[in-house]
Amino acid sequence: MVGMAATSRAGLQGAQPRHRARRRQVRDALTAYLFLGPSLFGVLAFLLAPVVIVAVLSLFKWSMLTSPQFVGLANYRRMAGDGSVWHSVGVTALYVVFTIPTQTVLALLLAMLLNTRLRGIRALRAFFVIPWMATPVVMGEVWKWIFSTQNGALNGFLGLFGVDPVPWLASPTFSLPAVAAVGVWSGTGYTMLFFLAGLQSIPESLYEAARLDGAGRSQQFFTITLPLLQPTMFFVLVTSIIGSFQVFDTVYAMTLGGPGEATSVLNFKIWTTAFQSFDDGYASALAMLLFGLLLLLTLVQVRFFRKRTTYELG
Amino acid sequence: MTLIRKTGIYAVLLVGAFLSVFPYITVVFTSLKTAPQLNSTAPWRPAIPPTLDNFRKLFNGSIANVSFPAYLLHTVMMTVALTAGQLVFTTLAAYAFARMRFPGRELLFWAYVATLMVPNVVTMVPLYLIMQQFGWVDTWTGLLAPYIFGSPYGIFLMRQYFRTLPVDLEDAARIDGAGTLAILTRVILPLSKPILGTLTILTVVFAWHNFLWPLTITSSNSTRVLTVGIASLQGNLGADYDLMMAGSFVALVPLIVVFLFFQRSIVRSVALTGLK
Repeated sequence: MVGMAATSRAGLQGAQPRHRARRRQVRDALTAYLFLGPSLFGVLAFLLAPVVIVAVLSLFKWSMLTSPQFVGLANYRRMAGDGSVWHSVGVTALYVVFTIPTQTVLALLLAMLLNTRLRGIRALRAFFVIPWMATPVVMGEVWKWIFSTQNGALNGFLGLFGVDPVPWLASPTFSLPAVAAVGVWSGTGYTMLFFLAGLQSIPESLYEAARLDGAGRSQQFFTITLPLLQPTMFFVLVTSIIGSFQVFDTVYAMTLGGPGEATSVLNFKIWTTAFQSFDDGYASALAMLLFGLLLLLTLVQVRFFRKRTTYELG
Repeated sequence: MTLIRKTGIYAVLLVGAFLSVFPYITVVFTSLKTAPQLNSTAPWRPAIPPTLDNFRKLFNGSIANVSFPAYLLHTVMMTVALTAGQLVFTTLAAYAFARMRFPGRELLFWAYVATLMVPNVVTMVPLYLIMQQFGWVDTWTGLLAPYIFGSPYGIFLMRQYFRTLPVDLEDAARIDGAGTLAILTRVILPLSKPILGTLTILTVVFAWHNFLWPLTITSSNSTRVLTVGIASLQGNLGADYDLMMAGSFVALVPLIVVFLFFQRSIVRSVALTGLK
């Protein structure tokens, strides 16, 4: 498309004297930068500059109130020996392990059920998009109430079967799974939509041919559905793992990282280090750690899928 | 399809649909209860008689240090401002990337795409520092500035769409003497309604949900938005879940209303964001 625009414009310019063509080029570039200006300012000032600043700050000892003091790699050395940081990394990894497999399997299952031609299926599909519209921090408060030890809906329900009240969010064992359950609740329907779009792009004729060859349902699933969903699976896993690695709002609302540090995910740890302990040089080093971990995670996934993806769609 | 199979599918989907809306039902039931009723009625039973006391308390300013009507107004203002900014600046930038020729285009475009990899929390300390330098902590400028110039993601989405439109229309308009801005507003934008709808929905939801940055940069009732207000109600109220759920109701309902009206295009929009 761009190529076409270029040739047709060049054709017009050919008829003009050279200096006019050149002036036109300059004017085009100026217009382009005028169009781009505001967003360029935004990206430079509020996205790229902060990344540079955070990298520089990670080499300083600084508390926002005092003047920064250069300390070289001291923050990183401190980080390496800081058990609570590695605990946070572990909690974050565990949160991802609790949410992603459950959410992905549930979403794929739902998508397959919703991909059938039954009456009322469209209306049902809409229900599953509702959790995506729920404000995460507010829903965190709502789930906190549902998980509440006294009068909470979950304990009330379990009480019908004679189960004693469980202190879900006050327990070091159950608090992280409870927060993860909320992650699954809000992410499943959203993920389902991508799988549904992927399923709908698989030609029905493939399944017909497979049935003619005598393939059963599970065989069709493993030889047609799953391989052809690879690109969707790649997109879904990369984005949802990156997303759940950065969980913050629900943790803030439900547990504030507690009890103790049982749900202190890395994002929460960074934010409290920066804005409650005012240990901002150190928080910057932790931010660099998060950034590095996410880059690494993405690279690994890209590698893994490049090796395995045999079907490219689009 | 056998009857058993059909029934099975419906059963699973209905349970799923119920779980999706269950927290909302809890919000409605709880917000209409009095504090003693939280103890005396089961969580899944509605209050008899229901009461609007919680909403009255939130809105008549009787809770110390909490001005709930202002929070609601601020969230609406922030959502409108960020959406307007996003629509204007994203469209301009995306069009430049899609159709205009200028030095550094490819490099800049990939720089934009690369910023998608930057985690939100990484920018919090430097952004706060920048706002502090300019005296914008706890101001509207500080609250809006980082997001009002359009997001790289939105620009990416729009650019991909613009590139699918036929160039001939623009060339024809150009020969008729239309300037670039006229081409954009009169030729391109009328053809881009679906993607503009998608961008609007995504931005409205993003702005309404926005929590981390407002939590970081605002500290007084003059800039506080609903998300931060509700999260701090907890500190002011302890475990007054009847009031908390009334507050949550106010925060959740507007997006549900939007959803009911634009359900079809929302479902389509979300699915679209996964395509390239």
